Order: sequence, then C-alpha cells, then structure tokens
Amino acid sequence: MTTRQRIDLLAHAYPRLFPRKELLQLVRDQLGHVDALDCWIARDRVRVRARAPRLIHHVCAGNLAVSAITSIVHGLLLGARNSVKLPSPRDDSTARREIIAFGRSLPRPLRDLVTFTSTRDSSALDRADVVIAFGSDATMAALRAQLHGDQQFIAHGHAVSVLWLADPGRLTAREARACAIDVLTYDQLGCLSPQAIYLSPGADLEVLGRKLARALETEWRRQPQKPARPLGTRARIAEARDVAHALGHRVWLPPSRHLGWTLIHDPDSTFTPSPLHGVIYLRVSPPEKLRENLASVCGRISTVGVTGTSSSARWREAFLDLGVSRFCPAGRMQFPPLSWHHDSRAVLGELVTWIDDEPYD
Amino acid sequence: MFIPRDFSRAAARREWTAALLGPLPDRRWEEMACELFCWQFARVPEFRRLCEGHGVSPATLRSWREIPAMPQQLFKRAKLFAHGDSKAAAIYETSGTTTGEPGRQYLLRTDIYEAVCVAGARRIGLLDHGPEVHFIAASPREAPHSSLSAMFGFWNRAAAKHHGRFWMSAEDFEELRSLLTRTRKPVALCGTAFGFVHFLDSLAGCELPLPRGSWLLETGGFKGRAREIPKPELYAQLARTFRVPDRAIWNEYGMSELSSQAYARGARGLHSTPPWARALVVDPATGREVAPGREGLVRWIDLANVDSVLALQTLDRAQRTSNGFRLIGRLSRTEPRGCSLGVEDLRVARGNRP
Repeated sequence: MTTRQRIDLLAHAYPRLFPRKELLQLVRDQLGHVDALDCWIARDRVRVRARAPRLIHHVCAGNLAVSAITSIVHGLLLGARNSVKLPSPRDDSTARREIIAFGRSLPRPLRDLVTFTSTRDSSALDRADVVIAFGSDATMAALRAQLHGDQQFIAHGHAVSVLWLADPGRLTAREARACAIDVLTYDQLGCLSPQAIYLSPGADLEVLGRKLARALETEWRRQPQKPARPLGTRARIAEARDVAHALGHRVWLPPSRHLGWTLIHDPDSTFTPSPLHGVIYLRVSPPEKLRENLASVCGRISTVGVTGTSSSARWREAFLDLGVSRFCPAGRMQFPPLSWHHDSRAVLGELVTWIDDEPYD
Repeated sequence: MFIPRDFSRAAARREWTAALLGPLPDRRWEEMACELFCWQFARVPEFRRLCEGHGVSPATLRSWREIPAMPQQLFKRAKLFAHGDSKAAAIYETSGTTTGEPGRQYLLRTDIYEAVCVAGARRIGLLDHGPEVHFIAASPREAPHSSLSAMFGFWNRAAAKHHGRFWMSAEDFEELRSLLTRTRKPVALCGTAFGFVHFLDSLAGCELPLPRGSWLLETGGFKGRAREIPKPELYAQLARTFRVPDRAIWNEYGMSELSSQAYARGARGLHSTPPWARALVVDPATGREVAPGREGLVRWIDLANVDSVLALQTLDRAQRTSNGFRLIGRLSRTEPRGCSLGVEDLRVARGNRP
C-alpha cells in the first residue's frame, strides 16, 4: 500500500478529523514529498528515499484518547505496524474505550496494522523500532530504562498550558468564549488544556471575571456531553472552591453551583497546577515577571493560547525563554493542526530514516 | 443566634469540657455546636469567609448540619487559630505527605484535648482494665509536634496503675520483646501501623503470644511510607503473632487537625465517634449526607476542637452505615492525569532539580 492509498483510506474514514488535504500537506512538509516512502525522490543531486520504522509501540495515557489516536495515525501514515499499550482500566476509562473504538473503526487494511494490548507487552516493547509514550515523567523514566540503545524513544511527559490575555481590559465576548472553549474542551484533562489564565495588570478583575464566567457558563451549557464527576473529582473541585473562599480569593461559580467550571482569582501569581475539571485560576503578571512566576514549569509549557493584540513583544520573549513550544489564538489550544510540532518535534520526520542514492557520474 | 462564651478563659473551658463529657442529648448538642460555630465565625477569618462563601452566618444558621466544613488542606495554608496573637501551648503538625507542607493545629491549651482523648479511650474500655500499656511511637518529648504522641502521653498519665513506655528503635524492640515474653498480665500495645510493621519485622516471623485480655491499637496508616500492607493482612499478622482475637485489635481514626477520635474493632469494624463529635459521610459536591450504604467523604463536627474550627472536611473515603461508617481509605491524589502536570508531579519535579 502506498502513502497516498493510506491517506485516502484515513481521509475517507475520518474526513473531519483527518482531512485529505491536511494529511497530504503533513507528509509533504515532514518528508519533503508525499511519495518519499514509496519511490526515490530527487533532492539536489542525490536521490533519497524515506524508510519507515517497521514497528512502533505506542504507550497511551489514561487522561485523553486524542493524543494516542493521533500518534497511531502518524504510524499508519508511514505504513508501520503499530502495537498499542492501552491505558489501564480505572474509574474513568473513557480514553481507553475511545482508543479501542477508534481501532475498530479503522478501514480493514489499516486495522491489520494495529494491535492492542492491555498489559505491558515486553516483547512488543523490545521489538519496536520506535517507542512513543504519553504520560507521567515516572512512566517515561520506567520505559526508558527498558529500552535498548538502537531504539528511538519519543517521550511526551508532563506538560502544562496557559492562556495569556495580552490586553485583558479589552477582552471581547468572542475572546472570552474562546478562552472558555480552551478550558472546557476535554474537561481540561490534556497537556494542551490551560491550567491558568495569565493577564497583564491594569484590568478591572471584577468585570473581566464576570465576562469569563458568563462565557464559561454558556460554553458549558453548549457541551452536549457533560463529563462524569466521580467522587474524587467532586471532592477536588469542592476543595478548590472552599480553599479559595477561605483564603478570601474572588471566586466565580455557575449560577446553580454545578461542578462544570470554577473561576478563581489567585492573588499569588506563581503558577500552581489546577485540580482540572473546569477549575481555572486567573493570575495577574506583568510580562517581565512571567519568567519568575512560571519558573516552576520552565521547559514544561506546551501551549500558550493568546487573546488581544499587544505591541509589546515582551510577553512572547518571556514565554520563549520558558521553553514554550506553541503559540496559538485562544479557542484553538485543543485543536492543533496536524502539522503541529508536538513537544517541538517533527511528528513524522523524526520517525523515518533516509536512504541516499548518490550519482555515479 | 448565640452569644458564645469566651473560650480563652480557663473557667469557660472547664465548663465546656464538663458539658462535653456529660449527657449530650440532641438539643444540647445542637446548642453547643451553634455556640462554638458563632465563636469561631467571629474569631477565625478563614472560617468566616468560608461560611460566607456558602451563604452561612450566625444569623442564618438553622442546624449544625449546615456548618460548612474547612478543607484539611487549609491547615497547611493558614493559621486557623481562634485566639489571635495569643501564644499556643501546643502546635501539632500533620505528616505533610501529600503536598510536602505540614498542616498545623494550634491549641491555646491542651486541657480539652487531653480530657476528650482520655475520655474517648475510656468510654470504649481501653484504659480501664489496667493493662500495662506500651506505645510503639515516639514519646511526647521526642515528638512535641505529634498529636498522636501527645495523646499517648495523656493516656499514659491517665493509666494510673502502670506507666507505659515508648518504644521506637531496634534496641527498644529487642527490649520490648524480652519484656513481653516474660509478662503474665494483660498488656496493651498502641502504635502506628508502620510502627507495628517494624516491630513485626524485628520478630522475624516468631510468635509472641500475649496474655489473655491483652489488646492492640493501631492508628495512622502508612502515610508517606514506601512500604504498605493492606489492613486485613496487617490485622491477620498481628492476630497471629500476638495470638489475640481480631476483636482485640482496635483502630483509632483521628488526625492532628481534630481533638476527638473515632474507634473501630477488628479489620472490618465500623467506626463510631464519641458523643461530643459526629462524623457525617457526605457528598463533597453538595455537602449533604449520602444515603446509608453509599460512599462519600468523612466530615467531622468536633465540639472539642474549640481553638481552630469545629467542622473539618477530610479526603477520607467512607461508606455510611446505619450506626457509623466504614472507613475505606484516603482519596488518591493520583487520578489519571497522563501528560498533564499536577501538584504531586510538580513537587516531584522540583525535588529532582539540582
């Protein structure tokens, strides 16, 4: 099967998730040519051809299915065989179910390239040319220790994302809605989900908070499927609210006090992780203090969603110093393009190796 | 609306203690809870703000069940003390295993704590049969900020017949073993689960039968320890090693942030509180009690906790029963977050940095 045939199969099966045009563009951008895996491609005076890994082992995290599904699709685009270690079944195994459902829905020729396992498959891990893993730093360290030298390991460990309101005093209703989408999509469970909204000083926090609260409530109501709230989740949301109340922080809650979202102004600008599940902290920081306030997550910030236009580039420089790998408009944090450099990596380019055929004359 | 007494006065504390230990019909309980609520609402700003966040004030409070409960975490982040700048006679610290920061309970005086922890043990018969008591724990002098050591110290003082000893080190265990081998009278061994495991290790699988009438009291779990043994397994080991029936093994459920304790007998025993404290199993989302048989989180209303807050919301999972609650365990801090970084991860990451 050629790359173009695999693209056609994927695009036909998932036209919205993986549009043909974007898949073609992705392969072209990453490998230089759509047919680079299937025939010799002239590059300067040399002919080159990409070689896909034979077996990719994907280790999925339990929080979200989307990263695992995208990773499998990358493997399929290359025509590699894919062994997938599913997240372990826990209280909320939505991600696991979604990954399995995706596997079952694949067109037959592609489905044959994917196998799933619930338990740790040391033989698959051992045979894989490439191991792609999502999860905690501890998981990454444990996997790394099991690999041998000639295996490629792509580790997507812990990361956080934040929203940056460059001009909070002029936040429009549309921008507030975009922030709400970023916060509430996937119940804030991914590393692309913002855990805090940072803003430059000077805005009327009461007005801003009301605006964001309204947007969060509207977006929450719009969501067709409300995420389940098991006991532990309910406890953490209630705890976050009560702690904020007791410390005298401004708290905005839904009118009916449902557990869909919680907005808290934390006067301490230092980053601390949110308990997730719609709990988002509002923190004020001048751009020149961002490095200091986010120092604890330096090198671990995945995405910064931005609203407002600001002539100052100081905030951007500060985030770059913090190792941020992606800026995007608010509202798009959770929907990166297929060509996204996940954790600053070329998602297909790093998986292939190259064969050179030099001219004989 | 109640006009509370001044709990900083020794006489008022004595009266209060006497009332706690006397008959407490529901109506009296309700009055005392509301009085203490009013005192703490006026004196502990964090508690007042929490209550206001829930729309509860002395003017609106209708029942003790409406009193908002302070999250345990607040004891790590604020000084919850109803006596302003007065000097605390004792500061008890939590283990700090969850976030790395210990929580602190400030007591103006230890009078009420001493009275209720001794009375609580007595009312279930723990200190009255005159056994020789041994504590597998640090002594109050060695651990002045441990509420558990303080409690054991108060028990020791109250057990007038035999003054017990505190045993902690390997040498101590050797001596304790030798002493227990010789004894012919009932003894009581009290300690943390982790302390018991160490003592069992020191026995290297040998049995150490205790005289009939002996009992054990285990508390504290395995907070932050690398090695954990499931409770039924630990109790089975204890019963086997010391040749005591399961019912002679007590579990004490208490915490530094509280003054009172609940007790259960045997590996599957139900916990019950003393009359001056009540534990509700609540749904954290609503703060309301769950139906019998359902699971929720333990919420304490402790009338002996006069110096900080009377209502405490724990993260301890429990099943409500018709006459108590069955403790299931601490809510895990490690829900599946995958690549999304959480507080625990951040702490680990910080710890790993040079």
